[in-house]
Amino acid sequence: MTVIETKGITKVYNPKKVPVHALRGVDLTIRKGEFTAIVGPSGSGKTTLLNIIGGLDQASSGVVIVDGVDITRISDNKLIDFRKEKIGFVFQAYNLIPVLTAAENVEFIMLLQGISKDKRQKRVVELLKSVGIEDQADKRPSKLSGGQQQRVAVARALASKPSFVLADEPTANLDSKSTAQLLDIMAKLNQEEGMTFIFSTHDQRVIDRARRVVTLEDGMIISDVTR
Amino acid sequence: MILKLAWRNIWRNPARSFVVIGAIIIGVWSVIFLMGVMHGMINSYVDNAIKRETSHIQIHHPEYMKDKESKFYMENAEKLIQDIEKIPGVKAATIRSQTNVMIGSSHGTRGIRINGIVPGREDKLTGLNELLVEGKYLEEGRPNQILLSSRLASKLKVKLRSKLILTFQTLDGEIVSGAFRIKGLFDTKNAMFDDNIAFVDIHSLNELLGQQDIGHEAMIYIGSVEQMDSTVMSLKKAFPDLLVQNYREISPELGLFETQIGMAGRIYMVIFMLALIFGIINTMLMAVLERVRELGMLMAVGMNKLKIFLMIVLETLLLGVVGAPIGIGFGYLLTSYYSTRGINLVIFSKEGMEQFGMTNFIYPSVNPEDYLFLAMSVFITALLASLYPAYKAIKLKPVEAIRKM
Repeated sequence: MTVIETKGITKVYNPKKVPVHALRGVDLTIRKGEFTAIVGPSGSGKTTLLNIIGGLDQASSGVVIVDGVDITRISDNKLIDFRKEKIGFVFQAYNLIPVLTAAENVEFIMLLQGISKDKRQKRVVELLKSVGIEDQADKRPSKLSGGQQQRVAVARALASKPSFVLADEPTANLDSKSTAQLLDIMAKLNQEEGMTFIFSTHDQRVIDRARRVVTLEDGMIISDVTR
Repeated sequence: MILKLAWRNIWRNPARSFVVIGAIIIGVWSVIFLMGVMHGMINSYVDNAIKRETSHIQIHHPEYMKDKESKFYMENAEKLIQDIEKIPGVKAATIRSQTNVMIGSSHGTRGIRINGIVPGREDKLTGLNELLVEGKYLEEGRPNQILLSSRLASKLKVKLRSKLILTFQTLDGEIVSGAFRIKGLFDTKNAMFDDNIAFVDIHSLNELLGQQDIGHEAMIYIGSVEQMDSTVMSLKKAFPDLLVQNYREISPELGLFETQIGMAGRIYMVIFMLALIFGIINTMLMAVLERVRELGMLMAVGMNKLKIFLMIVLETLLLGVVGAPIGIGFGYLLTSYYSTRGINLVIFSKEGMEQFGMTNFIYPSVNPEDYLFLAMSVFITALLASLYPAYKAIKLKPVEAIRKM
C-alpha cells in the first residue's frame, strides 16, 4: 500500500533573485511499513524533501500525494489538521515543549486531536513504555538526556497514530549508545507495529539499519536501493 | 491544556515575568492611591465647602443670587425654617441674614461679608462653635457680639473683646453703623473663608437692617448626597415662590472641581495603561521571538493558528491576572491605612492647601467601582498588548521557524 507518492517535485528558493534549485524533479514512492533513509551530502535536498512530504513546505511544482490526498492542493489550515492526524515528526533538536513533562509532551498531540482523557493516559503509558522511558514520565525535558528526549519525541510522533513518521537527522545530536537505543526502538516499532519511518540522515549507523536507502545529490535521486 | 501551557510559559523566564508583573503591581497600586488622594481632595474640598459655606441645599429669594443684595430677603424666617424641617430628607436647617459690610477697627478697615446667624441652630449644622480657638460662642439674645477669625483679627490688629464698627446699607438703602464686641475667634483652616466672613446674631443684624424675622439664606443639610435631588424636588414643590438650589448650582466651581479632579485621575490612569501596554508588548514579543522554533514545532505537529494565538493572548492576560489583584490589594491596604489616619500635607506646604479651601489633612478614598474599572482596564490593556505578539506568532512559517537556532 502506497503511503507517499511524489511526482516530479521541484523546489526553487529565491526564484526571482538568485534561484537555488533544492529539488529538481523528485519521483519517490514510499509504501507502508518501509524503513527508509534519505541520504546525501549537505545541500543535496534531504531536509527540503522531508519538509515537502510533511506538508511543512510547498513544492515549486509537482504533486505530493499522502494517503491518497494531494497535499499541494489543500489550504494551510487543512494542512495543519492533516499533519496532526497523518504525520509524526521527529526533529534533530528534539523540539519538545520545555514546560511540559515527558508524559504531557506525548499527551499533547492527543489533546489537540480531542481524544478522551482515559484513552490519552492509557496511550501515554503504552508509548513511554514502548520507547523505554516510562520511569521518566514526570520529568521535564531539561531533566532528560538527549537520548531520552529523542525517545520522548518518538513517542510523541507516534501518539497520534500517524500514517508515517518523518525524522530529520534524528541521531545528529546523540552519542553512539543513545543512537543505537533509538534505532532499536524505531526498528522494533517498524517490525512489530508496521510503522513507516522515513529518515533524512548523514549518520552511517542509521544508514546501516535502513532497509531502503534513497540517495539525493543536487536535488535529484541518484540511487534508490532496497536491501 | 492551553491554559496550563500558557501558565507554565510565563514562568519559564521568571525574572522577566516578575518585571512585568512588578510593573503592573506598582502601577495599579500607585494609580489606586493617586485616585484615592484625588478623591480625598475632592471630598475634603467639597465637604468643607458644604459644611462651612454652602450646605447641601439653599433657599433664597428668587432675585437674591444675582447680586446678593440684602433687599431680596425672605420673610417669616423662623416659620420658614420650621416648615423646611418637615420636608422628608431634610436632616437640619438654619437661616442666615447676610450683607456686605465695612468692618473697621482703630487700625484699619476691610470689606467682608457678615452672616447673621441663629446661634443655636448654626452650631449644630456648621459646627461653628467647634472652630473657636479663643473666646466663646455667640449667646442667643445677647446683642452686638461678633465672631471673626483669628486671621482677620490679626489683620485688623484686634483681639478678644475689642470693639469693631460694622458699616453697611439698610434694606432701605440708608447707611447704618453698629458697634460689635469680639466674643470669640475661630479658625476654619480655610484662609479664603477666614479672611472674608464674620458672624453676628441674626437679631442684631436684622435690627440694623431694619426688619426683624427675615433671612437671606436658608441652609439645609440632608442625610446623604444621594438624597439631594429628591429633597430638592420636594422643597421646590413646597416653596414654589423661592429659589431652591443644590450646592453644585450654588457653587459651580465645586462641581467643576469634582469633574476636573475626577478627569485628572482618569488621565493618569490612561498614561499608566499606555506605558504598561508598551512594556507588555516588549516582553511578549521577546517571549515569542525566543520561542520561534518551539512555536514552529507546535504548528508542525498540528496546533492550529487559533490555538497558538489564544496561547499567547492567555500568557499576556495571566501576567495581568497575577499582577492586577496584588496591585489592587496593596492599593486598597495603603488607601485604607491613610483613609483613617489622613495624609498631612503640611509637610509639603504649610498653608498651601488651606488657601484653596481644603484642610491640610487629606483622607484618601476609592469608590468600589473604581477598583473594578481599574481591573477591567488592566485586563483590556493586557488583551490589546497581546494582539501584536500573538499576530507575530501565527505569522511564523513552521518550516522557517523550526530551522531557527
